[in-house]
Amino acid sequence: MPSLDLLLGATVSGLLLGGIYALAALGLTLVFGIMDIVNIAHGHLLMIGGYVAVILAITLGLSPLLGMVAAMLVLVVVGLLLQELLQYVVGEGLEQPILLLFGVALALQNSWQFALDAYLFGSDAQTTDLRIVSGNLVLGGVSVSSSRAVTFVVAVALVLATWAFLRYTRTGRSIRATAQNPTAAGYVGIDTDRIYRVTMAMGAALAGAAGALLSALFPFDPYVGWSYLLKAFAVVVLGGVGSVLGTLAGGAVIGVSENVGALVIGGSYRDIVSLSIFLLVLLVRPQGLFGGSEGGE
Amino acid sequence: MTVSVPSDGDGPLGRRASLALGGGFVVAALLVPRFASGYVEDLMLQTLVFAILAISWNLLAGYAGQISLGHAAFFGLGAYVSAWLTTPAAAGFPGWLATHAVVAILVGGVAATLVALVVGPAVFRLHGHYFAIGTLALAAIVQLVLNNARTISGGATGFYVQNEFGEAGVYYLAVLALAAVTVTTYYVTRGRLGLGMQAVRDDPRAARSLGVHPLRYKMWAFVVSSFFAGIAGGLYGQYTLYLNAGSTLGVNWTIDSLVIVILGGMGTLFGPLFGTAVFMLIDNLFSQVAGGLATTLEGILIVLFVIFVPHGLYGLLQERRSTSRAPAERDRTSAESNPGGDARE
Repeated sequence: MPSLDLLLGATVSGLLLGGIYALAALGLTLVFGIMDIVNIAHGHLLMIGGYVAVILAITLGLSPLLGMVAAMLVLVVVGLLLQELLQYVVGEGLEQPILLLFGVALALQNSWQFALDAYLFGSDAQTTDLRIVSGNLVLGGVSVSSSRAVTFVVAVALVLATWAFLRYTRTGRSIRATAQNPTAAGYVGIDTDRIYRVTMAMGAALAGAAGALLSALFPFDPYVGWSYLLKAFAVVVLGGVGSVLGTLAGGAVIGVSENVGALVIGGSYRDIVSLSIFLLVLLVRPQGLFGGSEGGE
Repeated sequence: MTVSVPSDGDGPLGRRASLALGGGFVVAALLVPRFASGYVEDLMLQTLVFAILAISWNLLAGYAGQISLGHAAFFGLGAYVSAWLTTPAAAGFPGWLATHAVVAILVGGVAATLVALVVGPAVFRLHGHYFAIGTLALAAIVQLVLNNARTISGGATGFYVQNEFGEAGVYYLAVLALAAVTVTTYYVTRGRLGLGMQAVRDDPRAARSLGVHPLRYKMWAFVVSSFFAGIAGGLYGQYTLYLNAGSTLGVNWTIDSLVIVILGGMGTLFGPLFGTAVFMLIDNLFSQVAGGLATTLEGILIVLFVIFVPHGLYGLLQERRSTSRAPAERDRTSAESNPGGDARE
């Protein structure tokens, strides 16, 4: 067993990581909860967002925080385009959207890798630098990297902003109404097609934001999509489908267990730990650790 | 997906013609190693492996309606287990394990079946989206675990397989295996088992109320499908003689089976065969025309097919045929193929 200090450090750093995992899962849980679609391409949207930040950092030297804003704008457009495709298959059973989004994910991954190799800096892993303050911060006796702390604050702020948006704005209320009962929402004058477009654009933009922030922590290559999809879905299931604040709890569980697991049984088992926890929760409590009766079916 | 298949019949050609075509294909395939170049043989083996894999995924996804994204795990397990049995020393296993390639490939299939038996009851607690993502996660775990277990998987450098059977031997075996898999699927899908699977796919609640227990039929589909996938993996490993956890267990095997079945037509017997032929043509064409962008074109093709040709090329062919034969029959078929989509869990 590693020392208590190390464990404490891993836990704190895992909690910080959890904040950004929450943001990574937020778009997925919104689209799933509101439109009843699992966006299999979510991880690939996140990958695109990360690369927007990487490109801006390499070419213009922009901070990933500015890159995040750009990534969100780019991903809004991508999300709207995706919704144009999805509307062909919505309501035709479960398989059609899964298969369609799988195709989109493939096309995104391969075309991006091709574009990188042919026209940009190659598909080797890239990362951005988020150095507002140099060195480490000391939090409650534990030293954490400043980029983790900054990304955590930004990510949690975005999660809370989304929560407030859904709770207090008119559009947010329409979105929640559509999630509960699209037919009834239509009766009271809500344009559900527009709500779906807004939701998809939001989901994609949040994925882009998460990607841009993650690029400051971990290297990005065109293949990171699948692993982030699984991680984000793990957070969604843990927090309960459609629950915005649940992502914070789910993210914390995944972040901490990953970090502590990596410390105890070795870094190469990092993903195995989080995936196993995910599968276990999926099987034992499909409605999530903190969720209500949603999910499962 | 609304692919009820009351009209699958004996294919677009009728039973006798299908049999003749199938027989002709087997004979032609058996002649390849004697008369064609090594390149053609490689392509043909790839075709055979893809066809087996596609049939197996189609049984689970097309007939039983369980969209698994973890098929690569069973393919890879079959490949690795058969490799360990023909080359035990390379994995640090005792020498007495060494077996003939034919037995090893079969045992690889059995191993995949056993894994399916164990994990099946667990993953079938999941439905729809959850099942798809759950199986994707399962495959990712299997890949990560084997990738980390360097002594038995070869890790990133890969695992070199040896057998006494030779390239041609494995090739002939693959031809036989595809024939056996096709015939087995033919009888399974039109027997009680296959009808049960389709009932569960179309409406699990209705099926249960009629005494068709969903879990039992899903398990059958899963177990048989995993056995086929394991065999396909074993054949692939014994032919190429090189395995690598990254690629042999990689998601690309799942992707390819999916593309093939969607191209050909889900939930039909001939769809996967048809799809494999088209896929091999497209794949080689794409990689010549588009080079590195071949996978992008495949992705776009999936999207276009899901939107515009949801029943696949084979379904298109069938619709054409029934249109030209009897308009009345077409109306009946399309009416029959409508329900199901809404009543799904």
